[in-house]
Amino acid sequence: MASVSLRKLEKSYGSLKIVKGIDLEIQDGEFVVFVGPSGCGKSTTLRMVAGLESISGGEIRIGERVVNKLAPRERDIAMVFQDYALYPHKTVRENMGFSLKVRGVSMKDAEGRINEAADMLGIGHLLDRRPGQLSGGQRQRVAMGRAIVRRPQVFLFDEPLSNLDAKLRGQVRTEIKRLHQQIGTTIIYVTHDQVEAMTLADRIVILRGGDIEQVGTPDEVYNQPQSVFVGGFVGSPAMNFARARVEGDALSFANGDRLPLAKLARGRQGAMDGRDLIVGIRPEHFVTVADPAMTLTAKVQVVEPLGSDTLVHFLIGSDMLTARLPPDMRPEPGAVLHLGLDPSKVHLFDAATERAIH
Amino acid sequence: MTTSTLTTTQRIEKEPPAWTRMLDLSDRALAVLLLAPAAILLSLIIVYPVARLAYTSFFSLSLTSGLPAEFVGLENYKLMIDDPIFWETTWNTVLITLITVPGALVVGMALALLANLPFRTQWPVRLSLLIPWALPLSFAGLIFAWFFHSEYGVVNDVLNRFGIPGVIWFNSPNLAFAAICLTIIWKTSSFMALIILAGLQTIPRSLYEAADVDGAGRLRQFFEITLPLLKPAIVVALIFRTITALQTFDIPYMMTGGGPGTSTSTLAMYIHQNTVSFLDLGYGSALAVVMFLLSMCVTVVYLRIIRTKG
Repeated sequence: MASVSLRKLEKSYGSLKIVKGIDLEIQDGEFVVFVGPSGCGKSTTLRMVAGLESISGGEIRIGERVVNKLAPRERDIAMVFQDYALYPHKTVRENMGFSLKVRGVSMKDAEGRINEAADMLGIGHLLDRRPGQLSGGQRQRVAMGRAIVRRPQVFLFDEPLSNLDAKLRGQVRTEIKRLHQQIGTTIIYVTHDQVEAMTLADRIVILRGGDIEQVGTPDEVYNQPQSVFVGGFVGSPAMNFARARVEGDALSFANGDRLPLAKLARGRQGAMDGRDLIVGIRPEHFVTVADPAMTLTAKVQVVEPLGSDTLVHFLIGSDMLTARLPPDMRPEPGAVLHLGLDPSKVHLFDAATERAIH
Repeated sequence: MTTSTLTTTQRIEKEPPAWTRMLDLSDRALAVLLLAPAAILLSLIIVYPVARLAYTSFFSLSLTSGLPAEFVGLENYKLMIDDPIFWETTWNTVLITLITVPGALVVGMALALLANLPFRTQWPVRLSLLIPWALPLSFAGLIFAWFFHSEYGVVNDVLNRFGIPGVIWFNSPNLAFAAICLTIIWKTSSFMALIILAGLQTIPRSLYEAADVDGAGRLRQFFEITLPLLKPAIVVALIFRTITALQTFDIPYMMTGGGPGTSTSTLAMYIHQNTVSFLDLGYGSALAVVMFLLSMCVTVVYLRIIRTKG
């Protein structure tokens, strides 16, 4: 096990900067998830840690060693690839044992490690099969098994669940979490799926355009998003955003609704006068009974009953918002609802910078 | 919704046109009918000529004698057994196959690996692979006949520059044979390279990355990943190359004409000599049947290998 340290890490292709100076300290045994939309640089960063991409600037340390110039095999890492990258002509046993064979581990020792990993992942009965004879989920487990037998200092996962169907994805996700609890090795995991990030991570690193947007525990990124981007990226359905302006002691919305600033701004109202804001409210934070002063008037556009709850879509000005309401609430389209807000769960962002106002 | 359902029903119930009812065939008959054009064409251009060749091989049919064809049974084949030129040319053919097929495979593999490197500009590399392949065989033979020319040839010139005295390549059976083999390897390795390159490009890059992480060096990656995954492409390339090697004609014909003596003559050249020069169609056909059987044997062996691997 080892810590991983990224300092001013950069990657450029010609004049195009893909990763723009990332600084990150990953603790020994920590499960860190890189998440972000396509092209944000998350996979490139992971591949730089693996040594599969050269770095254009900065420094990568694994444990106490600077590994900038080291080949992947010298970094003591193991990687699970998006397409699993299992050797199709080798059996599961040979796939899992390949790295041990290359490193000259004795046959007896290798066999012991393979069987141990296979038992851990429940693939003992598949050891003599070839990857072509396995299902997607089984291949995924074999790919993890291949990584485990190495007993590396760091595990790297590059979108390992994206080729699985939704049900299997849930199962394997749980297995990965269980595996981390069992072996406790440092894991860096890349995904574009915020649910995977929230469920697996000790800490989430949200990337955007080659920069870190926010680093924090799942609770922190969910409850204290530092920007509109993070607020919108984490959570499903996504956080609602409505434009509003600070007018005197109230926050005024495009539909004429006014909310008392004193309750929302929590002591910050002095700096806000006359400012345009973006108000972020998660769909699940609307309530049907609340302080009458803290309500928004919602003219219902579309209603989606989900069984467990009802999603109600409504407009405030030109901003479409969604509220997650109890399942027995089934308003008709066109109906007017007064949706209450818990002021502690309303997020305020500067309209110009899109950063949170603290 | 109702309208569209009605329309669908009406369409289903509509009578098929009269001409299709006339062709109201069973599935089996329809399959035969659809396959017939291809089957007839193949019969005309493959089955008939081969059958006709086998049939002619049982006759004494020499156009120079002016005599009518006479059925002689296996006489042509008995003649062949006692014919030293048949054995010499067959041995030459087998030897050319044994030398040039592995030779072209090794050179082709090296060229394919080279062409698969991430060059900034790929097309000059690919084009240089295509040129030898696209060149007509007889043309390649002529070019290399000049290359190996004792007085004006490039090969002797290069040897001289290194202080090695030039040789008269086409006067010595062994040197002439070596020159022919080198030419064939040059000409055919690009074909091997193209097939192997196609195979190389189907190997996902992530396998090499996984091997990098697993700790395998380049050489180990070649033997543990590239070579096993290229096996199907290599077998296909070998089948094609071996069959064409058994039919070697143009290059030795243009370079040495089979000489000195018959030392570089191949079975295909001997068949050509008997049928075209001597107009002995009976014996020439018998020789051609032997070459056909030789090719078939090789194909069967390779196909068995593929099936076993599969």
